[in-house]
Amino acid sequence: MDRKVVVPGDLLSEDAKRSGEGTYIKDGSVYSLLYGLANYRDKINVIPLAGKYMPAPGDNVIGVVKDITFSNWIVDINSPYDGLLHISEYPKRIESDEMSKYLRIGSSIMTRVKDVDPTMKVELTLNDRKLGPIKTGQVIEISHTRVPRLIGKGGSMISMLKKEVNCSIFVGQNGRIWINGCRDDTDLALKTIALIEKEAHTNGLTDRIVNFLKAEKEARS
Amino acid sequence: MSNVISEIKKDFIYNLLLKGERMDGRSFDQYREISIERDVIRKAEGSALVKLGSSQVLVGVKMQPGEPFQDSPNRGVIITNAELVPLASPSFEPGPPNEVGIELARVVDRGVRESKAVDLEALCIEPGKQVWIVFIDVHILDDCGNILDAASLGAIAALLCTKVPASRFGLGEDFILPIRDIPIATTAIEFSDVLMFDPGVEEEAVANTKLTVITTANGDICGIQKSGTGMLKPEQVYRIIDIACEKAKEIREKFLEA
Amino acid sequence: MIAMDENDISFFKDGLRLDGRRADELRPVKIKVGVLARADGSCYIEMGGNKVIAAVYGPREVHPRHLQEVTRAIVRYRYNMASFSVEERKRPGPDRRSYELSKVSREALEPVILTSFFPRSVIDVFVEVLQADAGTRTAGINAAAVALADAGIPMKSMISSCAAGKVGDTIVLDPMKEEDNFGQADLPIAMTPNGDITLMQMDGNLSIDEFHQAVEMAMKGAKDIYELQRRALVEKYSQISAASGQEEVHLYE
Repeated sequence: MDRKVVVPGDLLSEDAKRSGEGTYIKDGSVYSLLYGLANYRDKINVIPLAGKYMPAPGDNVIGVVKDITFSNWIVDINSPYDGLLHISEYPKRIESDEMSKYLRIGSSIMTRVKDVDPTMKVELTLNDRKLGPIKTGQVIEISHTRVPRLIGKGGSMISMLKKEVNCSIFVGQNGRIWINGCRDDTDLALKTIALIEKEAHTNGLTDRIVNFLKAEKEARS
Repeated sequence: MSNVISEIKKDFIYNLLLKGERMDGRSFDQYREISIERDVIRKAEGSALVKLGSSQVLVGVKMQPGEPFQDSPNRGVIITNAELVPLASPSFEPGPPNEVGIELARVVDRGVRESKAVDLEALCIEPGKQVWIVFIDVHILDDCGNILDAASLGAIAALLCTKVPASRFGLGEDFILPIRDIPIATTAIEFSDVLMFDPGVEEEAVANTKLTVITTANGDICGIQKSGTGMLKPEQVYRIIDIACEKAKEIREKFLEA
Repeated sequence: MIAMDENDISFFKDGLRLDGRRADELRPVKIKVGVLARADGSCYIEMGGNKVIAAVYGPREVHPRHLQEVTRAIVRYRYNMASFSVEERKRPGPDRRSYELSKVSREALEPVILTSFFPRSVIDVFVEVLQADAGTRTAGINAAAVALADAGIPMKSMISSCAAGKVGDTIVLDPMKEEDNFGQADLPIAMTPNGDITLMQMDGNLSIDEFHQAVEMAMKGAKDIYELQRRALVEKYSQISAASGQEEVHLYE
């Protein structure tokens, strides 16, 4: 697997068919749009180091209520775009003047992106048993670019982590993560997540995390 | 810019504080790492770049001859300004200083002026006609909390390496600006009855009371500023002052008495 | 201040300029990527005696809302000089010159930014001149381009900027302060590495021939600067990899 650091405008390939994420085509050749790591597979993708979270339908995210209008909670989702949670997307039927009783400014929620329109109007929903207001536990923030690594292929990394640390964990695509458990378990979860974030771009990470968890748990017993 | 702090974060910070802990592991009266680089802007008569944790403040001192104030015809003039430029924080907006920027400049100025650090009489060129004007310009580069202490440190560090540019104006030879004291500002925030010195950004956001104490080299107080919408009991104030004096002494000895 | 005019100074001695450079030589350049913690992207640059820092915030919400565009991000560029950056203290705040520089600098970068990726948002570029020594606008654009890349803003290419001038009837690259003050012409440009020009300004007096010469020289200078920008960005990445993914904040030296 070939990887290279590229800057915007770098020529990646003269075969337009290989244009992947973070690239553009001009006169039949593929160029980088971003400063990051170019991944040379069938398609060439450029993975950026930085950049803002762009919401997409189906994304789980953790938001903080920043304003309340007549029929919407306006939710900060750590993106250039706020999420709108319509009163009908609350799992219970409530009246407009009760909205702040259930979710007030400063409340955190585990929510999902229902829809995003071409002007980046983002609609959120709480209509799912796995979603809802956050009342206990802790919310941390990592770079959203590391979230895919934290989740792993088919969810392998995160399932393994949940099992090994005995905590409830909700991973937001926007980089916010909710953890709930007893103090020691939470500490272990936090340490592990920090390690994954730090080494997200390296190879053999899964094995290293497995070993790390083993070692930590042995040290505690 | 709306920057709502989640309640869960406020609770988290508060719970840590109850245990005497802070998010970055510091103790309640511990300052972040400080570095001071002097003479970084050669075009300025004096300058200093201060790093306090990740906060960065650049202070430049410029001097030129000018008219004295009518009520002090033999004394030089100090003018302090602070620019909270938008590159330093997502919540700084372009434009002339707002009340926060003006307050910062005036508190930095207070430390310099009330400690009599600058010998203003030595800055007289021709009594009643010409004196040296000292411009202290604070340029905030990165606001990661407590930029006031960093700015105040930068101001005195810049003054300590300032050369009066007499030759440029045909007024004789350049000379080192005489500095007689080293005022140091130390700021603490109060949050649910817990005190914390050198607050970081998030700590500043959850606290609603701040107290800045400026002390001189011999331990006297030459400036105080309470800001924020909370209340302080006299015992809290005295406690802050005691620790402030200690902290100021440490910082002064470590960085500015070389 | 001693009054001088261009006939008093000899700009060349033994074929070298006042600061020892040849006619086509750039002043020393230093570039540090990612120097600020709060900004989304940042860059500190020294070009000769110029010390300039650029920061990018965005894409982010536009305030006031009426400025937003439904189909794309707007780009804002604010060039500002610190009071202590020049020999005679400058009053804080923008003047007519900084408004003009901000406009042309923004127009130098906007052509390559993929603003359509970010409807209803703003990409803010802030440039602070900490010390000025002729060529602050080109230094600002160079730093801004790196800061944009550092912030992860998608761009078709980098932008690099350089000026040429005429002093003592000779075309020179990257004029310094005295050459700028007493020179006969000043021509700053900005371009993509392919040579597409996104900024061009000129004041002074040049024959058509001299103009061609100056443009060619400035474009070569910009290309050299592009290599330095690229190197700084690549170096930062390898340092991150070396430290196992830990982002290092570069400090000024």
